[in-house]
Amino acid sequence: MNSGTAKLQRTIFIASFIVPTLLFFGVFTIYPTLQALYYSFFDWSGMSQHKEFIGLDNFVNLFKDPIIWRAIGNDYFLVLGKIIGIMILATFFAVALTRFNFKLASFFRSTFFIPNIISVVVIGVLWNFIYNPQIGFLNSFLSLFTKEQVTITWLGFQHHTIWMLLPPAIWAGIGFYMLLLIAAIQNIPESYYEAASLEGSSQWHQFWTITLPLIWEQMKVSILNIMMTTLNGSFVIVWIMTEGGPDNTTQVMGSYLYQMAFRQYHFGFASAIGVLILVLSLVTTVILQRLMRQETVELG
Amino acid sequence: MNLGIRNPFIKFICYAILIVWCISVIYPLIWTMMDALKDNQQFFFKKPWALPEFPLLWENFSYVWSTYNFDRYFMNSIVITTVSTTLGLLLAAMTAYVLARYKFRGSNALYLLYISSMMVPFVLALIPLFFLMNSLHLTNTWYGLSMVYASSVLAFGIFVLVGFFKGLPKELEEAATVDGAGYYGTFFKVMLPLSQPGLITVAIINVLNIWNEYIVGTILINDPEQYTLPVEIGIMQAEMQYRTEWGPLFAALMFTIVPILIVYIIFQRQIASGITAGAVK
Repeated sequence: MNSGTAKLQRTIFIASFIVPTLLFFGVFTIYPTLQALYYSFFDWSGMSQHKEFIGLDNFVNLFKDPIIWRAIGNDYFLVLGKIIGIMILATFFAVALTRFNFKLASFFRSTFFIPNIISVVVIGVLWNFIYNPQIGFLNSFLSLFTKEQVTITWLGFQHHTIWMLLPPAIWAGIGFYMLLLIAAIQNIPESYYEAASLEGSSQWHQFWTITLPLIWEQMKVSILNIMMTTLNGSFVIVWIMTEGGPDNTTQVMGSYLYQMAFRQYHFGFASAIGVLILVLSLVTTVILQRLMRQETVELG
Repeated sequence: MNLGIRNPFIKFICYAILIVWCISVIYPLIWTMMDALKDNQQFFFKKPWALPEFPLLWENFSYVWSTYNFDRYFMNSIVITTVSTTLGLLLAAMTAYVLARYKFRGSNALYLLYISSMMVPFVLALIPLFFLMNSLHLTNTWYGLSMVYASSVLAFGIFVLVGFFKGLPKELEEAATVDGAGYYGTFFKVMLPLSQPGLITVAIINVLNIWNEYIVGTILINDPEQYTLPVEIGIMQAEMQYRTEWGPLFAALMFTIVPILIVYIIFQRQIASGITAGAVK
């Protein structure tokens, strides 16, 4: 009897701590996510109550749409560019700020994280100003070296405008991964480096034989994370800087979803784009994990 | 015995790269401040890096504050960030504590549900969320947006706090139980105060994310009375095509950046530990 009450009390306690959170999460996160999968099978303008079930037609149309292929290409261009740019710079900064005995290392570390705390809208506005054809930084700077005023519309090329979105994306992303790698390097016992130094091994050699193998796990996490956040979230900066233009050349999947849903009211089609983003990010995760499946050195 | 770099040339190159990057981070902040004090004349006829001319146009700030209603947006952002951070933290801490300390049927599955949800792109849920909020009459309300934000930070909070609670010694709870504190007393009077460092870390990271959030805010809020700062900045910059008010635009950016910069300067350490909490294990 007594143990029965105790058990009941325990159950009530657990339920009272689990259920509110789960309800909240269910209503505002799980339910909309599942609903999106459901919408992707319908033709729906959003305004009317009427949804027409069209099976896989949204997906068929999606793959016939040349814009989605360009968007996928742009997405993976950003993924690749960001992985290369961020990983090289973040690793360099992390090593330089931990292993090189620089003065001011902690100042640099705090400063380099600042872009990560600034809203992506603000970053978009700042970089738009850098690229502004009339009054922007870049053209004014180039004009110092030319006779005539430079008036390049940096965000209006017919091809390759997506390249212009890479610098802001890298600039804004580095701090986070740098902190991650710094923490990983600080976890490496100092004695490893001491032994290597006694044998006369150079910094460069130590980086390849000690640091890199021991932070490889965190580098993998970083690469996967860059890929996921890019496929899922890079559209915000694209939307603010170019709205996918000119002529849909900088469209990424997320921005195309946004445009299809909230500008053109093809909610079913847009949901299909969302499903595509989900599928591609899961598939890419699996592929990248396979590619990077190298022996990880465990710290004993 | 870390001797650092000895070759002076390589050392110079490394320093140069660090300093260039440092400038690329700090300079935009300085130039945002300077440009917030200029009039349109200076934008069109002077170099963008020119110092603002005297008299400095401090009016740009008061102009944005009152004419552009930034007083309102600022308050909206503060209220929404505070409410959703508090709510999200409490809900996450409760579940995290139970998941860390009690085994029950489905506890593992529940943990996995929250963790795996971090893999699902949020943009997928955006469309149904809009219609859901509409039918619940929660669009264009500060509490509606706060609830969505609170929900969006749950998974991260649970992830970090489960690890944190697991790291706390069990003896303290046992002592509390012996002293006659019930389940709830143990949690609120013993565990919550003990886990303050973890809670602060999660709270600060949530504050950063929510204060800066743009896309959900744009979709769920159409009423200008209810805009948050990032939503209004997005609108302001789109309007720049028709009305050129560069000075006020940069003043508006300052209103968004400065509060979060202050938070960052105060809580740097917690932010860094929050970021590395999950990844380095």
